[in-house]
Amino acid sequence: MDPIAALLILVCVIVGGLLASLGVHMIPVGGAPAAMGTATGIATGTVQLMFGAALTGLFTASTVATFFETPSPLALVLVALSGAVGAMLMLSFTMLFANMLYVFGAGVVPVSGRVEVDPITKEPQTPYKTPQTDGHGVPNVSYISGWIGAFLGGFGGALMYFVLKNYAFPASLFAELGAADAEMVSAAAAGIAAAGIFVANAILSAYNIGGTIEGFHDPKFKRLPKALISCAVVSALCGLCIIIATWGLSGGGGV
Amino acid sequence: MPLEVLFGLLLLIAFLAFVACFFEDAESDTGSQSNPNSQVQLAAQVGYVHRFFNKAISGEPLSNCMYSTTACTVAWVLLRQFEPMFPAGEQWKAAILAIPLGVLAGEILHLIFATTAHLGRTAGQSRFQQPLYLDVFYGHLIPIITHGFMTTFCITCIAYLQANLGTLSGIPELNHPFPLPLLGFIWGITVGSIGSSTGDIHYGTEREFQDRPFGEGKRVVYHGMITRYADCGIRTQKDIVGFCIKYGCPLTGMTFGMIILFENWRTVLGMLGGGYLTTNLTVNSAAGAAAAAIGIAIGLIIGIALIFGNLYLVRWARKRYGPFVGE
Repeated sequence: MDPIAALLILVCVIVGGLLASLGVHMIPVGGAPAAMGTATGIATGTVQLMFGAALTGLFTASTVATFFETPSPLALVLVALSGAVGAMLMLSFTMLFANMLYVFGAGVVPVSGRVEVDPITKEPQTPYKTPQTDGHGVPNVSYISGWIGAFLGGFGGALMYFVLKNYAFPASLFAELGAADAEMVSAAAAGIAAAGIFVANAILSAYNIGGTIEGFHDPKFKRLPKALISCAVVSALCGLCIIIATWGLSGGGGV
Repeated sequence: MPLEVLFGLLLLIAFLAFVACFFEDAESDTGSQSNPNSQVQLAAQVGYVHRFFNKAISGEPLSNCMYSTTACTVAWVLLRQFEPMFPAGEQWKAAILAIPLGVLAGEILHLIFATTAHLGRTAGQSRFQQPLYLDVFYGHLIPIITHGFMTTFCITCIAYLQANLGTLSGIPELNHPFPLPLLGFIWGITVGSIGSSTGDIHYGTEREFQDRPFGEGKRVVYHGMITRYADCGIRTQKDIVGFCIKYGCPLTGMTFGMIILFENWRTVLGMLGGGYLTTNLTVNSAAGAAAAAIGIAIGLIIGIALIFGNLYLVRWARKRYGPFVGE
């Protein structure tokens, strides 16, 4: 196997994993309490939400990846950005419609439970908060934090997909299946591997968060460095596994 | 002509996405699948014996992913068997049989998990004197499966249309690179995470605590003390789904529909603007780069518009509802 390709796989998988971890720390997740309007954020689990957003991005990124004949730095950036925008759009719509449900379905004003004043819009939060709750809805600071987080997570997921598709599981590796099937197996293998590495990093970061987080203004965000170190190690191990798998699939020789 | 067909198919996919997520939320309300089920679970422990269906197989994304991927995998295998039986250009007829059979396989799994989850969870609460009502159990299984069938069916159709988008619209290069099961996996996870994040709020914040004051987040002291009485008689999930279907479900369906619509729309507009669809549809990196860049730019514009939409919504709510009053 080409050592430069192996190095590229390793670096991009680590970068993708770190971006996934950063993204998970930035999206506002309230878990089960948010479904009762008892905590700020989106009413579902961290991993599931980030995974859903990243997979939406991966869908568009995989379409965009077919636009390019050969891999190039420009193609890599455009595919990764397509994935980032896809994930960002998924989370933006979800947060906006969740807020519409809070406002019109439950009569609740979106407020933060962790800060007294919204750091971006400077709107006071405490007077609007229901006592004995940890905030409710998705306030503007959490919305913008989630927007950026989904963008970064989607970028990481699509980046991993592009590199794995072109360097770890290229269609030439499955040539005996015929051109059409080889292309499909190559894309599917890269998609599954990218999603798998992404979810491993997201789960590690979710442990660090411990259930709920409001975004970059939440005190829990300060725990980020520990998660980044763990995710770098896990991503590096995943990258090594992929390099070994690719090396084995290609018969132990060059791809 | 193929472009009109392509846009028509994309609109059909967006409509199917709306229906899929609508029924996903309705199914999660019928079976008490997701986050608000923590209160159903807690109710018996705080002395609130109830007649709710207690089904939380797993998080909604994972369970929907399981049904969709199973359905798509079975449909895919059947399609590979059936398609050679039809003449060239009429292979789509194979899908008429393969997709419902695949979805049926996924829903059999759903039925098994709904049964074991409810019986297991309720049996585990016998120490809190929570009875297992057999009429509740039997009466909810069919609504759960039928709602689940609609979701899985729509997701499988979306995956089928996307995997064969090019063939169906006469531009073969537009077939999605992912195989049918992987597309089912992706949209199963996504439909579940949207249904869980959006639709649950109407059930959890409003319907589950309807005898508590409206217009405030539900305080921690209320947790577990769910509303157990319906407009007439004792409340079951059937009363809940009838309420949530008026607002929570349509809004949830709209979320997924809008995501799919704008994701496809920006990609196809990028292809048109970048000249990718007009260069004889061979892979062309320069036109592809332009197509991708335009798609990204459109997506960013939509994303920024959504931020302003949220700013407006939050400001409107603060002005209209005012600060918290009460104790």
